[in-house]
Amino acid sequence: MKRRLLALVFLAPISAALAQQPTFTPAEIRKIVGHGPWPPPATLDAGNRVSGKPDAIALGEILFFSTKLSGNGQLACATCHVPELGWSDGKKTPNGLSAVDRNTPGLLNIRLNRWFGWDGGSDSLMGSVIRPWLDTREMGVSPVHVAKALREDAALACRYRKIFGPLESDDAVVMANAAKAIAAFQETLATSRTPFDDFRDALAVGRADPSYPEAAKRGLKIFVGKGDCQLCHFGPAFTNGEFHDTGISQFIAPGKIDNGRFGGIKFLRESQFNRLGRFNDDATGANAVATRHVETTHRNWGEFKVPTLRNLEATVPYMHNGSLASLHDVVKHYSEVSPDRVHSDGEALIRPLRLSAQESDDLVAFLRTLSVAADNRPFQKRHDSRTCE
Amino acid sequence: MRFLLACLFAALAFAPARAADLPLIDAHIHYSHDAWDMLPAKEAINVLRKAGLKKALLSSSSDDGTLKLYAEAPDIIVPELRPYRSRGEIGTWFRDETVVTHIQERIAKFNYVGIGEFHIYGPDADSPVMRRIVEIAKTNNLILHAHSDAEAVDRLFAQNPTARVLWAHSGFASPDKVREMLRKYKTLWADLAFRSEHGSGGKVDAAWREAFVEFPDRFMVGTDTFTPERWYYIEEHAKWSRAWLADLPQDLAERIAYKNFEALFAGMKIGPK
Repeated sequence: MKRRLLALVFLAPISAALAQQPTFTPAEIRKIVGHGPWPPPATLDAGNRVSGKPDAIALGEILFFSTKLSGNGQLACATCHVPELGWSDGKKTPNGLSAVDRNTPGLLNIRLNRWFGWDGGSDSLMGSVIRPWLDTREMGVSPVHVAKALREDAALACRYRKIFGPLESDDAVVMANAAKAIAAFQETLATSRTPFDDFRDALAVGRADPSYPEAAKRGLKIFVGKGDCQLCHFGPAFTNGEFHDTGISQFIAPGKIDNGRFGGIKFLRESQFNRLGRFNDDATGANAVATRHVETTHRNWGEFKVPTLRNLEATVPYMHNGSLASLHDVVKHYSEVSPDRVHSDGEALIRPLRLSAQESDDLVAFLRTLSVAADNRPFQKRHDSRTCE
Repeated sequence: MRFLLACLFAALAFAPARAADLPLIDAHIHYSHDAWDMLPAKEAINVLRKAGLKKALLSSSSDDGTLKLYAEAPDIIVPELRPYRSRGEIGTWFRDETVVTHIQERIAKFNYVGIGEFHIYGPDADSPVMRRIVEIAKTNNLILHAHSDAEAVDRLFAQNPTARVLWAHSGFASPDKVREMLRKYKTLWADLAFRSEHGSGGKVDAAWREAFVEFPDRFMVGTDTFTPERWYYIEEHAKWSRAWLADLPQDLAERIAYKNFEALFAGMKIGPK
């Protein structure tokens, strides 16, 4: 009898906690559990032979913060990818050498992508580093400029030689190698575990997590239920890695539009730095299958990348053109999006969610549990650009 | 000599089409209210001309968009009357009896070639409003441009077996299904708007090729500018269409590119009454 009473005493708080939770169906639990575990296992990029190598990561870090690789000598990758802002810049759209049309995406967890950039114009992290270098609106440099900057800086040249061997006479090779070093550095940028991950792990083993906010639970239920948000914001990184037309305007100005994924595919196929080219280190070519087969279709016109939702709070404003200033604005957009605007045959997944004010608040509360402040502290540089360790 | 001439004619007929200079008519364009500010009528017409289009079958929500462009370029715009007064009516129009009055009033003032593009699926094709529109089309000798599933197309023909129906997007049906429907109805034409699989990468898919060969007189190309931004896709779409059409024998390519359209609308009066 005493034992039974003790058991009841221990079980009571768990039962009370479970009773307070919104009820998740087995199907909803399966979807929620699918958003983990976090972090995912580390993997190396087969297309980048210096992926995961400490010397390359060190050189990549130095180059990421260096202004030597820009046309005016004043811009670094870090100018727009600011560590404290989720490695984005907090602006609607940035200015490089001149105005750029798209919002700066954050870089945390970038290694998990299959296509890079809002239009997927790059199929590797290396390619995504090179693209803003060559874009005259962004960094505005040539392979000659990048190779010269490395050759003329004794410390950089020394670090380069230790990783890649002698500086090649082919400037494009030097530039690709520099981009591979930066890619190796960017692969190390990852988000921490979040309150959602603790809740998800507890749910996966049938435990309660009383610390997870009730509003977030209600929002999560909308996310995997009424909203079906997980159809696109799928898996541990909360993105399917693909492209959709979410009904955001493509107009940049009257008479000028951003064609999104359509232009991205064309750019990718024409780029000498894609995985079908000589800079891909995967001798098997297995990592280039998607690039070989990707083709433009009508639906690609105006599609943009599905971004990760992790560390979302730090990467405000939102969408490809930075047109939505807050998470509430994003939820409002999906609540009210016109089905005629997205065309049911073009984009069957998007429909107006028609959320109440309470539901919108709950969905935002859930999204906030995918971020932790610690991920947005100032970055502590670990390597001295003046030395060759 | 006669034999040689016959051989030459046959060689020309079955030679691959030349892509760059193939005339093209776009059978699926909209100029709806949300496009008017960002793309004024003059610029919209420039887009069509830059794409090298001979003509464009145009319908808009509201119809004022169609009339604006027709006024700007009657040589290129072939107007049809859309039942929607704004784009938000796509899912409700066939339950709204005022649509019938709207159609009648517009038709009383202007000669259109058809009614559409309208969205109707399954049993809704037998709604009283849809039935009235089929009757109006019959009375006024207008085509019906239907964004429909096969069931709705069946129901339209059940109401009027002699109706002329342009099947938008060919119902997003498989080539086999499209062929089945074309066999079933001699006055059914098929637009290929917003479909990519028949001509991806400049090559005609084998199953679609069979459909085009079996029904050389029934297919047409179209862009579908369902958002204002898609107007800027018209030129790309024309290039894309010319690329896959070039993979067909010249005669067949020309029919799909523009001759089928011209034949369907031949002799129809257009413009203010």
